[in-house]
Amino acid sequence: MSKSLQCQLCDAVATVHLTQIVQGKVHKVHYCEACASKGGATDAAVFQLAEAVTAATTQPTITCPTCRFNDLEFRRTGRLGCPDCWPVFLEALQELLVKVQHRLQHVGRAPVGTLAVGQLRHRLHEAKTEMEMAIAHEDYESAARLRDEIAQLLTQIPES
Amino acid sequence: MTVQDILAAENELTHLLGAQQAIVLSTRIRLARNLEGYPFPGWAKPAQRQEIAQKCWEALEKLPRFKKGHFLKMNELSDMDRAVLVERHLVSKELASGKSGAAVISRDQTCSVMINEEDHLRIQVVKAGWHLRGTWNIAEQLDDALSASLKIAFSDQLGYLTACPTNVGTGLRASAMVHLPGLCLGRQMEKVTRALNQDGLAVRGWLGEGTEAAGNIFQISNQQTLGLSEEAILKRLGGWIKVLVEQEWNARRKLAEEEGARFVDRLARSLGILRHAHLLTSAESMNMLSHLRMACDMGCLPEANRHLIDRLMIEGQPAHIQARQGKECESEKRDSIRANAVREALATFPEVVPPTL
Repeated sequence: MSKSLQCQLCDAVATVHLTQIVQGKVHKVHYCEACASKGGATDAAVFQLAEAVTAATTQPTITCPTCRFNDLEFRRTGRLGCPDCWPVFLEALQELLVKVQHRLQHVGRAPVGTLAVGQLRHRLHEAKTEMEMAIAHEDYESAARLRDEIAQLLTQIPES
Repeated sequence: MTVQDILAAENELTHLLGAQQAIVLSTRIRLARNLEGYPFPGWAKPAQRQEIAQKCWEALEKLPRFKKGHFLKMNELSDMDRAVLVERHLVSKELASGKSGAAVISRDQTCSVMINEEDHLRIQVVKAGWHLRGTWNIAEQLDDALSASLKIAFSDQLGYLTACPTNVGTGLRASAMVHLPGLCLGRQMEKVTRALNQDGLAVRGWLGEGTEAAGNIFQISNQQTLGLSEEAILKRLGGWIKVLVEQEWNARRKLAEEEGARFVDRLARSLGILRHAHLLTSAESMNMLSHLRMACDMGCLPEANRHLIDRLMIEGQPAHIQARQGKECESEKRDSIRANAVREALATFPEVVPPTL
Protein backbone atom coordinates (compact mmCIF):
# COMPACT_ATOMS: atom_id res chain seq x y z
CA MET A 1 0.00 0.00 0.00
CA SER A 2 1.33 3.48 -0.77
CA LYS A 3 2.26 5.74 2.11
CA SER A 4 -0.30 8.50 2.75
CA LEU A 5 0.94 11.92 1.76
CA GLN A 6 1.36 14.73 4.23
CA CYS A 7 -0.40 18.05 3.80
CA GLN A 8 2.02 20.66 2.43
CA LEU A 9 0.84 23.23 4.96
CA CYS A 10 0.50 21.22 8.17
CA ASP A 11 1.23 17.75 9.58
CA ALA A 12 -2.17 16.24 8.78
CA VAL A 13 -2.73 13.54 6.19
CA ALA A 14 -3.36 15.05 2.76
CA THR A 15 -6.76 14.12 1.36
CA VAL A 16 -7.05 16.81 -1.33
CA HIS A 17 -4.69 16.19 -4.24
CA LEU A 18 -4.66 18.69 -7.06
CA THR A 19 -2.79 18.80 -10.33
CA GLN A 20 -2.39 22.17 -12.02
CA ILE A 21 -0.94 22.86 -15.40
CA VAL A 22 0.63 26.30 -15.47
CA GLN A 23 2.29 27.38 -18.74
CA GLY A 24 2.68 23.78 -19.80
CA LYS A 25 4.27 22.69 -16.51
CA VAL A 26 2.54 20.18 -14.25
CA HIS A 27 2.29 21.10 -10.56
CA LYS A 28 0.94 18.73 -7.97
CA VAL A 29 -0.31 19.90 -4.59
CA HIS A 30 -1.42 17.92 -1.57
CA TYR A 31 -3.47 19.42 1.24
CA CYS A 32 -5.55 18.18 4.14
CA GLU A 33 -9.22 19.13 3.99
CA ALA A 34 -8.86 21.94 6.53
CA CYS A 35 -6.01 23.66 4.67
CA ALA A 36 -7.61 23.05 1.28
CA SER A 37 -10.83 24.69 2.42
CA LYS A 38 -8.79 27.65 3.68
CA GLY A 39 -7.68 28.06 0.10
CA GLY A 40 -4.21 26.55 0.28
CA ALA A 41 -2.66 29.78 1.59
CA THR A 42 -2.14 32.26 -1.26
CA ASP A 43 -2.62 30.38 -4.48
CA ALA A 44 -5.85 31.61 -6.04
CA ALA A 45 -6.02 28.76 -8.52
CA VAL A 46 -5.74 26.23 -5.73
CA PHE A 47 -8.38 28.08 -3.83
CA GLN A 48 -10.82 27.75 -6.71
CA LEU A 49 -10.01 24.11 -7.25
CA ALA A 50 -10.31 23.29 -3.56
CA GLU A 51 -13.65 25.00 -3.50
CA ALA A 52 -14.78 22.89 -6.43
CA VAL A 53 -13.62 19.75 -4.66
CA THR A 54 -15.31 20.56 -1.39
CA ALA A 55 -18.44 21.79 -3.16
CA ALA A 56 -18.73 18.39 -4.77
CA THR A 57 -18.88 16.79 -1.34
CA THR A 58 -21.14 19.23 0.46
CA GLN A 59 -24.22 17.12 -0.27
CA PRO A 60 -24.59 14.27 2.20
CA THR A 61 -25.24 10.90 0.60
CA ILE A 62 -26.30 9.03 3.74
CA THR A 63 -28.53 10.45 6.46
CA CYS A 64 -29.79 8.65 9.56
CA PRO A 65 -33.60 8.89 9.62
CA THR A 66 -33.63 8.85 13.43
CA CYS A 67 -31.11 11.56 14.31
CA ARG A 68 -30.41 13.27 10.93
CA PHE A 69 -26.68 12.57 11.27
CA ASN A 70 -24.98 12.36 7.86
CA ASP A 71 -21.83 11.07 6.21
CA LEU A 72 -20.26 14.53 5.98
CA GLU A 73 -20.42 14.76 9.77
CA PHE A 74 -18.83 11.34 10.03
CA ARG A 75 -15.98 12.44 7.79
CA ARG A 76 -15.49 15.43 10.05
CA THR A 77 -15.62 13.67 13.43
CA GLY A 78 -15.07 9.96 12.80
CA ARG A 79 -17.99 9.21 15.10
CA LEU A 80 -21.61 8.30 14.51
CA GLY A 81 -24.71 10.17 15.66
CA CYS A 82 -26.82 7.57 17.46
CA PRO A 83 -27.20 3.79 17.84
CA ASP A 84 -29.64 3.76 14.89
CA CYS A 85 -26.91 5.18 12.63
CA TRP A 86 -25.15 1.81 12.72
CA PRO A 87 -27.47 -0.14 10.38
CA VAL A 88 -27.78 2.94 8.15
CA PHE A 89 -24.01 3.43 7.80
CA LEU A 90 -22.94 -0.20 8.04
CA GLU A 91 -22.43 -0.75 4.35
CA ALA A 92 -20.43 2.45 3.95
CA LEU A 93 -18.37 1.62 7.04
CA GLN A 94 -17.66 -1.96 6.04
CA GLU A 95 -14.21 -1.23 4.62
CA LEU A 96 -13.17 0.83 7.63
CA LEU A 97 -14.48 -1.81 10.04
CA VAL A 98 -12.59 -4.59 8.32
CA LYS A 99 -9.47 -2.45 8.53
CA VAL A 100 -9.70 -1.65 12.24
CA GLN A 101 -11.60 -4.65 13.55
CA HIS A 102 -10.85 -7.45 11.04
CA ARG A 103 -14.17 -9.16 11.80
CA LEU A 104 -17.78 -8.11 11.45
CA GLN A 105 -19.66 -10.38 13.85
CA HIS A 106 -19.78 -9.62 17.56
CA VAL A 107 -18.75 -12.46 19.82
CA GLY A 108 -19.10 -11.85 23.51
CA ARG A 109 -21.36 -10.49 26.18
CA ALA A 110 -24.83 -9.05 25.76
CA PRO A 111 -26.86 -6.83 28.11
CA VAL A 112 -28.75 -8.65 30.86
CA GLY A 113 -31.93 -10.18 29.43
CA THR A 114 -30.78 -10.00 25.80
CA LEU A 115 -30.54 -13.24 23.88
CA ALA A 116 -27.75 -12.75 21.40
CA VAL A 117 -29.29 -14.83 18.58
CA GLY A 118 -26.71 -13.72 16.01
CA GLN A 119 -23.92 -15.06 18.17
CA LEU A 120 -25.71 -18.34 18.72
CA ARG A 121 -26.15 -18.73 14.95
CA HIS A 122 -22.51 -17.85 14.43
CA ARG A 123 -21.45 -20.47 16.99
CA LEU A 124 -23.82 -23.02 15.43
CA HIS A 125 -22.15 -22.50 12.08
CA GLU A 126 -18.69 -22.87 13.67
CA ALA A 127 -19.69 -25.96 15.66
CA LYS A 128 -21.03 -27.67 12.52
CA THR A 129 -17.75 -27.06 10.68
CA GLU A 130 -15.74 -28.23 13.68
CA MET A 131 -17.87 -31.39 13.92
CA GLU A 132 -17.25 -32.22 10.26
CA MET A 133 -13.54 -31.72 10.81
CA ALA A 134 -13.61 -33.93 13.91
CA ILE A 135 -15.39 -36.70 12.00
CA ALA A 136 -12.91 -36.41 9.14
CA HIS A 137 -10.08 -36.82 11.65
CA GLU A 138 -11.92 -39.71 13.34
CA ASP A 139 -11.98 -37.76 16.60
CA TYR A 140 -15.36 -39.14 17.65
CA GLU A 141 -15.10 -37.90 21.22
CA SER A 142 -14.95 -34.25 20.06
CA ALA A 143 -17.59 -34.92 17.42
CA ALA A 144 -19.99 -36.23 20.06
CA ARG A 145 -19.36 -33.19 22.28
CA LEU A 146 -19.99 -30.88 19.32
CA ARG A 147 -23.15 -32.79 18.35
CA ASP A 148 -24.50 -32.16 21.87
CA GLU A 149 -23.54 -28.50 21.67
CA ILE A 150 -25.32 -28.16 18.30
CA ALA A 151 -28.47 -29.76 19.72
CA GLN A 152 -28.30 -27.37 22.69
CA LEU A 153 -27.81 -24.34 20.38
CA LEU A 154 -30.75 -25.36 18.20
CA THR A 155 -33.07 -25.31 21.22
CA GLN A 156 -31.91 -21.75 22.05
CA ILE A 157 -32.32 -20.23 18.60
CA PRO A 158 -35.90 -19.18 17.90
CA GLU A 159 -37.12 -20.27 14.46
CA SER A 160 -37.42 -17.40 12.05
CA MET B 1 -14.62 19.83 48.21
CA THR B 2 -14.64 16.35 46.72
CA VAL B 3 -11.53 16.51 44.52
CA GLN B 4 -9.52 17.49 47.62
CA ASP B 5 -11.06 14.44 49.33
CA ILE B 6 -9.87 12.28 46.45
CA LEU B 7 -6.37 13.70 46.82
CA ALA B 8 -6.31 13.22 50.58
CA ALA B 9 -7.75 9.70 50.62
CA GLU B 10 -5.45 6.73 50.74
CA ASN B 11 -6.10 4.56 47.70
CA GLU B 12 -4.86 1.53 45.76
CA LEU B 13 -2.39 3.27 43.53
CA THR B 14 -0.72 5.59 46.00
CA HIS B 15 -0.93 3.83 49.34
CA LEU B 16 -1.77 0.15 49.16
CA LEU B 17 1.61 -1.20 50.05
CA GLY B 18 1.14 -4.93 49.52
CA ALA B 19 -0.41 -4.66 46.09
CA GLN B 20 2.46 -2.81 44.46
CA GLN B 21 4.38 -4.99 42.08
CA ALA B 22 7.54 -4.93 40.07
CA ILE B 23 6.97 -3.94 36.42
CA VAL B 24 3.15 -3.90 36.24
CA LEU B 25 1.91 -0.74 37.97
CA SER B 26 -1.79 -1.19 37.36
CA THR B 27 -4.47 -3.07 35.45
CA ARG B 28 -7.41 -1.29 33.90
CA ILE B 29 -10.68 -2.34 32.27
CA ARG B 30 -12.85 0.08 30.34
CA LEU B 31 -16.28 -0.65 28.89
CA ALA B 32 -18.09 1.72 26.49
CA ARG B 33 -21.89 1.63 26.72
CA ASN B 34 -24.74 3.72 25.33
CA LEU B 35 -28.43 4.11 26.06
CA GLU B 36 -30.89 3.05 23.43
CA GLY B 37 -33.00 5.82 21.91
CA TYR B 38 -30.61 8.72 22.46
CA PRO B 39 -28.00 10.31 20.20
CA PHE B 40 -24.38 9.76 21.22
CA PRO B 41 -23.06 12.65 23.38
CA GLY B 42 -21.20 14.34 20.51
CA TRP B 43 -24.38 14.63 18.45
CA ALA B 44 -26.94 15.06 21.25
CA LYS B 45 -28.52 18.44 22.01
CA PRO B 46 -27.78 19.93 25.45
CA ALA B 47 -31.25 19.01 26.74
CA GLN B 48 -30.80 15.41 25.58
CA ARG B 49 -27.39 15.23 27.19
CA GLN B 50 -28.92 16.38 30.43
CA GLU B 51 -31.62 13.73 30.22
CA ILE B 52 -29.00 11.04 29.51
CA ALA B 53 -26.87 12.24 32.43
CA GLN B 54 -29.88 12.19 34.74
CA LYS B 55 -30.74 8.60 33.82
CA CYS B 56 -27.19 7.34 34.18
CA TRP B 57 -26.68 9.25 37.40
CA GLU B 58 -29.82 7.73 38.95
CA ALA B 59 -28.80 4.22 37.90
CA LEU B 60 -25.34 4.69 39.38
CA GLU B 61 -26.64 6.10 42.65
CA LYS B 62 -28.41 2.82 43.32
CA LEU B 63 -25.28 0.72 43.03
CA PRO B 64 -23.68 -0.32 46.34
CA ARG B 65 -20.20 0.13 44.87
CA PHE B 66 -20.76 3.87 44.53
CA LYS B 67 -22.15 4.32 48.02
CA LYS B 68 -20.49 7.36 49.59
CA GLY B 69 -18.70 7.85 46.28
CA HIS B 70 -17.88 11.08 44.50
CA PHE B 71 -20.52 12.42 42.10
CA LEU B 72 -18.86 15.15 40.08
CA LYS B 73 -20.26 17.41 37.38
CA MET B 74 -17.50 18.78 35.19
CA ASN B 75 -19.05 22.26 34.92
CA GLU B 76 -18.98 22.58 38.72
CA LEU B 77 -15.26 21.89 39.00
CA SER B 78 -12.35 24.27 38.61
CA ASP B 79 -9.81 23.78 35.79
CA MET B 80 -7.31 22.61 38.38
CA ASP B 81 -9.62 19.98 39.88
CA ARG B 82 -10.43 18.59 36.46
CA ALA B 83 -6.73 18.41 35.64
CA VAL B 84 -6.12 16.44 38.86
CA LEU B 85 -8.77 13.91 37.87
CA VAL B 86 -7.10 13.51 34.47
CA GLU B 87 -3.68 13.00 36.04
CA ARG B 88 -5.19 10.33 38.28
CA HIS B 89 -6.69 8.62 35.21
CA LEU B 90 -10.11 8.92 36.83
CA VAL B 91 -11.49 10.90 33.90
CA SER B 92 -10.24 11.41 30.35
CA LYS B 93 -8.90 14.65 28.89
CA GLU B 94 -11.91 14.69 26.59
CA LEU B 95 -14.40 14.59 29.46
CA ALA B 96 -12.44 17.20 31.43
CA SER B 97 -12.31 19.63 28.52
CA GLY B 98 -15.96 19.25 27.56
CA LYS B 99 -17.57 20.66 30.72
CA SER B 100 -20.94 19.03 29.98
CA GLY B 101 -19.97 15.58 31.24
CA ALA B 102 -19.97 14.05 34.68
CA ALA B 103 -18.05 11.38 36.56
CA VAL B 104 -18.99 9.06 39.36
CA ILE B 105 -16.05 7.68 41.33
CA SER B 106 -16.21 4.99 43.97
CA ARG B 107 -14.94 5.85 47.42
CA ASP B 108 -11.87 3.64 47.06
CA GLN B 109 -11.19 5.16 43.59
CA THR B 110 -11.03 1.75 41.90
CA CYS B 111 -14.24 2.28 39.90
CA SER B 112 -15.20 5.33 37.94
CA VAL B 113 -17.90 5.93 35.39
CA MET B 114 -17.72 8.80 32.94
CA ILE B 115 -21.05 10.10 31.72
CA ASN B 116 -21.39 11.83 28.33
CA GLU B 117 -17.82 11.43 27.24
CA GLU B 118 -17.55 10.00 23.70
CA ASP B 119 -20.17 7.45 24.75
CA HIS B 120 -22.99 7.82 27.26
CA LEU B 121 -21.22 5.58 29.74
CA ARG B 122 -17.58 4.68 30.13
CA ILE B 123 -17.18 2.19 32.95
CA GLN B 124 -13.65 1.95 34.30
CA VAL B 125 -12.08 -0.28 36.92
CA VAL B 126 -8.43 0.08 38.00
CA LYS B 127 -6.40 -2.00 40.39
CA ALA B 128 -2.79 -1.61 41.44
CA GLY B 129 -0.51 -4.36 40.17
CA TRP B 130 -1.42 -7.11 37.74
CA HIS B 131 -4.97 -8.26 38.44
CA LEU B 132 -6.65 -8.80 35.11
CA ARG B 133 -9.21 -11.31 36.35
CA GLY B 134 -10.19 -9.40 39.49
CA THR B 135 -10.48 -6.12 37.59
CA TRP B 136 -12.58 -7.74 34.87
CA ASN B 137 -14.92 -9.37 37.39
CA ILE B 138 -15.74 -6.02 38.97
CA ALA B 139 -16.31 -4.40 35.55
CA GLU B 140 -18.58 -7.25 34.52
CA GLN B 141 -20.65 -6.91 37.69
CA LEU B 142 -20.98 -3.16 37.20
CA ASP B 143 -21.97 -3.67 33.57
CA ASP B 144 -24.65 -6.22 34.49
CA ALA B 145 -25.99 -4.03 37.29
CA LEU B 146 -26.26 -1.04 34.95
CA SER B 147 -27.83 -2.98 32.10
CA ALA B 148 -30.47 -4.26 34.53
CA SER B 149 -31.76 -0.72 35.06
CA LEU B 150 -30.79 1.01 31.78
CA LYS B 151 -31.74 -0.01 28.24
CA ILE B 152 -28.34 -0.46 26.59
CA ALA B 153 -27.89 -0.08 22.81
CA PHE B 154 -26.92 -3.50 21.46
CA SER B 155 -27.08 -5.25 18.12
CA ASP B 156 -26.85 -8.92 17.45
CA GLN B 157 -24.29 -8.46 14.73
CA LEU B 158 -22.28 -5.55 16.07
CA GLY B 159 -22.57 -6.02 19.82
CA TYR B 160 -22.51 -2.90 21.99
CA LEU B 161 -23.09 0.08 19.73
CA THR B 162 -20.64 2.91 20.30
CA ALA B 163 -20.05 6.34 18.80
CA CYS B 164 -16.71 5.35 17.30
CA PRO B 165 -16.15 2.28 15.10
CA THR B 166 -12.98 1.51 17.05
CA ASN B 167 -14.99 0.54 20.15
CA VAL B 168 -17.99 -1.28 18.71
CA GLY B 169 -18.52 -4.93 19.70
CA THR B 170 -17.40 -5.61 23.24
CA GLY B 171 -16.67 -1.94 23.93
CA LEU B 172 -13.81 -3.35 25.95
CA ARG B 173 -10.42 -1.78 26.34
CA ALA B 174 -8.25 -3.82 28.70
CA SER B 175 -4.89 -2.37 29.59
CA ALA B 176 -1.86 -2.66 31.79
CA MET B 177 0.46 0.13 32.86
CA VAL B 178 3.96 -1.29 32.69
CA HIS B 179 7.31 0.07 33.80
CA LEU B 180 10.00 -0.92 31.30
CA PRO B 181 13.28 0.86 32.07
CA GLY B 182 15.33 -2.23 31.19
CA LEU B 183 13.88 -2.49 27.69
CA CYS B 184 14.21 1.29 27.24
CA LEU B 185 17.83 1.41 28.37
CA GLY B 186 18.57 -1.65 26.23
CA ARG B 187 16.99 0.17 23.25
CA GLN B 188 14.54 -2.65 22.63
CA MET B 189 11.30 -0.71 22.96
CA GLU B 190 10.91 -0.08 19.25
CA LYS B 191 11.13 -3.78 18.49
CA VAL B 192 8.75 -4.65 21.32
CA THR B 193 6.23 -2.00 20.20
CA ARG B 194 6.30 -3.35 16.65
CA ALA B 195 5.64 -6.90 17.84
CA LEU B 196 2.76 -5.77 20.06
CA ASN B 197 1.24 -3.67 17.26
CA GLN B 198 1.38 -6.60 14.90
CA ASP B 199 -0.64 -8.70 17.29
CA GLY B 200 -3.31 -6.03 17.70
CA LEU B 201 -2.09 -4.34 20.87
CA ALA B 202 -1.51 -0.59 21.22
CA VAL B 203 1.42 0.92 23.12
CA ARG B 204 0.90 4.39 24.57
CA GLY B 205 2.53 6.76 27.03
CA TRP B 206 1.62 7.16 30.67
CA LEU B 207 -1.33 9.48 30.19
CA GLY B 208 -2.80 7.54 27.27
CA GLU B 209 -3.25 8.48 23.66
CA GLY B 210 -0.69 10.86 22.21
CA THR B 211 1.40 11.21 25.35
CA GLU B 212 5.06 10.52 25.87
CA ALA B 213 6.31 7.61 27.89
CA ALA B 214 7.55 9.61 30.87
CA GLY B 215 9.37 7.50 33.42
CA ASN B 216 9.61 4.53 31.03
CA ILE B 217 5.96 3.79 31.74
CA PHE B 218 3.77 2.45 28.95
CA GLN B 219 0.13 1.59 28.61
CA ILE B 220 -0.52 -1.62 26.67
CA SER B 221 -4.07 -2.25 25.47
CA ASN B 222 -6.15 -4.20 22.95
CA GLN B 223 -7.13 -2.46 19.72
CA GLN B 224 -9.71 -4.87 18.34
CA THR B 225 -13.13 -4.86 20.01
CA LEU B 226 -15.31 -6.64 17.43
CA GLY B 227 -15.26 -10.33 16.62
CA LEU B 228 -13.22 -11.30 19.67
CA SER B 229 -14.88 -12.31 22.92
CA GLU B 230 -13.99 -10.53 26.15
CA GLU B 231 -12.30 -13.74 27.22
CA ALA B 232 -10.13 -13.80 24.08
CA ILE B 233 -9.19 -10.13 24.46
CA LEU B 234 -8.13 -10.63 28.08
CA LYS B 235 -6.23 -13.78 27.23
CA ARG B 236 -4.27 -12.07 24.48
CA LEU B 237 -3.36 -9.11 26.69
CA GLY B 238 -2.51 -11.44 29.59
CA GLY B 239 -0.24 -13.55 27.41
CA TRP B 240 1.66 -10.54 26.15
CA ILE B 241 2.06 -8.95 29.57
CA LYS B 242 3.59 -12.17 30.83
CA VAL B 243 6.06 -12.10 27.93
CA LEU B 244 6.82 -8.41 28.49
CA VAL B 245 7.49 -8.94 32.20
CA GLU B 246 9.90 -11.77 31.38
CA GLN B 247 11.67 -9.73 28.71
CA GLU B 248 11.95 -6.75 31.02
CA TRP B 249 13.56 -8.91 33.72
CA ASN B 250 15.97 -10.36 31.16
CA ALA B 251 16.87 -6.89 29.91
CA ARG B 252 17.52 -5.68 33.47
CA ARG B 253 19.67 -8.68 34.34
CA LYS B 254 21.65 -8.27 31.15
CA LEU B 255 22.20 -4.57 31.83
CA ALA B 256 23.26 -5.21 35.42
CA GLU B 257 25.65 -7.90 34.31
CA GLU B 258 27.16 -6.03 31.38
CA GLU B 259 27.36 -2.63 33.00
CA GLY B 260 28.39 -3.75 36.49
CA ALA B 261 29.36 -0.69 38.53
CA ARG B 262 27.95 1.64 35.87
CA PHE B 263 24.49 0.16 36.41
CA VAL B 264 24.56 0.76 40.17
CA ASP B 265 26.14 4.16 39.60
CA ARG B 266 23.24 5.23 37.40
CA LEU B 267 20.69 4.31 40.07
CA ALA B 268 22.75 5.85 42.87
CA ARG B 269 23.20 9.11 40.92
CA SER B 270 19.46 9.35 40.43
CA LEU B 271 18.93 8.94 44.15
CA GLY B 272 21.64 11.53 44.80
CA ILE B 273 20.09 14.11 42.50
CA LEU B 274 16.55 13.52 43.73
CA ARG B 275 17.72 13.77 47.33
CA HIS B 276 19.55 17.05 46.83
CA ALA B 277 17.92 18.92 43.95
CA HIS B 278 16.05 22.15 44.63
CA LEU B 279 14.38 22.29 41.22
CA LEU B 280 12.96 19.23 39.47
CA THR B 281 10.96 19.26 36.26
CA SER B 282 8.22 16.70 35.87
CA ALA B 283 10.11 14.80 33.16
CA GLU B 284 13.39 14.74 35.09
CA SER B 285 11.81 13.51 38.30
CA MET B 286 9.78 10.86 36.45
CA ASN B 287 12.88 9.48 34.75
CA MET B 288 14.91 9.39 37.97
CA LEU B 289 12.07 7.95 40.01
CA SER B 290 11.88 5.28 37.32
CA HIS B 291 15.49 4.35 38.17
CA LEU B 292 14.61 4.14 41.85
CA ARG B 293 11.60 1.96 41.16
CA MET B 294 13.83 -0.40 39.22
CA ALA B 295 16.31 -0.29 42.13
CA CYS B 296 13.52 -1.40 44.53
CA ASP B 297 12.53 -4.25 42.19
CA MET B 298 16.11 -5.50 41.99
CA GLY B 299 17.07 -5.35 45.64
CA CYS B 300 19.26 -2.23 45.22
CA LEU B 301 16.84 -0.41 47.53
CA PRO B 302 14.36 -1.99 49.97
CA GLU B 303 11.28 -3.30 48.15
CA ALA B 304 9.08 -1.79 50.85
CA ASN B 305 9.98 1.68 49.53
CA ARG B 306 8.44 1.07 46.11
CA HIS B 307 4.96 2.34 46.98
CA LEU B 308 6.48 5.66 48.04
CA ILE B 309 8.07 6.06 44.60
CA ASP B 310 4.74 5.34 42.89
CA ARG B 311 3.12 7.98 45.06
CA LEU B 312 5.80 10.55 44.21
CA MET B 313 5.26 9.86 40.50
CA ILE B 314 1.53 10.45 40.77
CA GLU B 315 1.68 13.38 43.17
CA GLY B 316 4.51 15.08 41.30
CA GLN B 317 2.33 15.79 38.28
CA PRO B 318 1.67 19.51 37.64
CA ALA B 319 -2.03 19.66 38.58
CA HIS B 320 -1.46 17.58 41.72
CA ILE B 321 1.17 20.04 42.92
CA GLN B 322 -1.04 23.02 42.26
CA ALA B 323 -4.02 21.40 43.94
CA ARG B 324 -1.95 20.75 47.04
CA GLN B 325 -0.91 24.41 47.05
CA GLY B 326 -4.53 25.37 46.51
CA LYS B 327 -3.58 27.71 43.68
CA GLU B 328 -2.03 27.83 40.26
CA CYS B 329 1.71 28.32 40.19
CA GLU B 330 4.41 29.02 37.61
CA SER B 331 6.46 26.12 36.34
CA GLU B 332 9.61 27.09 38.30
CA LYS B 333 7.58 27.30 41.49
CA ARG B 334 6.15 23.85 40.71
CA ASP B 335 9.65 22.50 40.10
CA SER B 336 10.70 23.82 43.49
CA ILE B 337 7.67 22.35 45.32
CA ARG B 338 8.22 19.02 43.56
CA ALA B 339 11.90 18.98 44.53
CA ASN B 340 11.04 19.76 48.16
CA ALA B 341 8.49 16.97 48.36
CA VAL B 342 10.88 14.47 46.76
CA ARG B 343 13.80 15.56 49.00
CA GLU B 344 11.67 15.15 52.08
CA ALA B 345 10.32 11.77 51.04
CA LEU B 346 13.73 10.36 50.14
CA ALA B 347 15.60 11.77 53.15
CA THR B 348 15.43 8.47 55.00
CA PHE B 349 16.14 6.24 51.99
CA PRO B 350 19.17 3.95 52.49
CA GLU B 351 22.08 3.92 50.03
CA VAL B 352 21.78 2.07 46.71
CA VAL B 353 23.53 -1.32 46.83
CA PRO B 354 24.40 -3.72 43.97
CA PRO B 355 21.48 -5.84 42.71
CA THR B 356 20.69 -9.14 44.41
CA LEU B 357 18.95 -10.63 41.36
